[in-house]
Amino acid sequence: MPYYEKSEDWLHQSALLLQARPQTTRVTTSYFLRPAIRPSKAEKLAAKEARRAKESASKSTTTSKSTTKSTPAPAAPTTESTDATSTATQKPPRGHLVLKTFDPHSGVCLKYKTSKAAEVGRLIQMLGQLGRRMAALPVDEAKEASQAADVVMGEAAEEAKGEVSGTATPAGGTSTPAAGGAAGGGGQGKKKKKGKR
Amino acid sequence: MGHLTHDEFFSKLTELFDYRKNQDHGTINLVQKRLSYNTPSQSTETDLLTDLCPSTPLPVLIRATNAKGKDRRKEKVKLSTIIEPADLEAFYGRYADVCKKGMGALKPRDRTKRKKQSRKKKAPTAGGPGVGAGGSSMMAIP
Repeated sequence: MPYYEKSEDWLHQSALLLQARPQTTRVTTSYFLRPAIRPSKAEKLAAKEARRAKESASKSTTTSKSTTKSTPAPAAPTTESTDATSTATQKPPRGHLVLKTFDPHSGVCLKYKTSKAAEVGRLIQMLGQLGRRMAALPVDEAKEASQAADVVMGEAAEEAKGEVSGTATPAGGTSTPAAGGAAGGGGQGKKKKKGKR
Repeated sequence: MGHLTHDEFFSKLTELFDYRKNQDHGTINLVQKRLSYNTPSQSTETDLLTDLCPSTPLPVLIRATNAKGKDRRKEKVKLSTIIEPADLEAFYGRYADVCKKGMGALKPRDRTKRKKQSRKKKAPTAGGPGVGAGGSSMMAIP
């Protein structure tokens, strides 16, 4: 399954999936850590350093032509290579976060991936919203609609609500104007951002 | 392992995140789903409908693992807790705090661009204070 570009899209689709299959749907949040430089790359760097050091050492040995000086020369590249690897490890590891909504009965899998720390709070808030749906608590749709409308998807939300639950149509009707207004606000925000860039 | 209380769960979860902080690789999985263990699940149509809109709110199950496989069963950490519907908001508030603190390896907000821009704005004002200031204010109005 492809990843969603925007977290709001992911939230919306996950909410719909939960509405359809509340009993079996689960939301998984995976936090991955990877080393900043992969070992192969680090090794390559180290190898490069070692090679250079060897070349310089061989030059120095050819100029000096003394066996006593050549013995410490092989030791030098090894220390340099260890330095290189240590600098590689000093870089902090990179992390990324994958949110996945999965329903084993229908096989639907919705994913969202991010590596921004600033998004974590918002994403957990989204998990909370989904949690409310899981717990079958009443969901204040106007609030969610305003949040979901950062992406311009008011119309899509209308259609989806209409399709999924006929009983919820009055609530959907009331929430639509709010969604439209919020969508306008979202649009303005985007324009501002573009202007800044 | 039985289910933990919220306090225990959060303290262990922070431990889990702290353990990850000292390493340069690894995964933490957090799962949430409706608790449907003790509830009977027949596949008759009436039951399906009650599943879709149950009369009473149901608890939510939260699991956390360090994603160790079968071959490292001894190292595996499994945490789970149950949130009663009434505690949902309080739980997610704390959950967000723990996760924000724990997920330190994510990219921090990038402020370098803004700094460059502010420097650029400051530079002309330093060169010609009167004209530069007027220009910047003109720029700021639209």
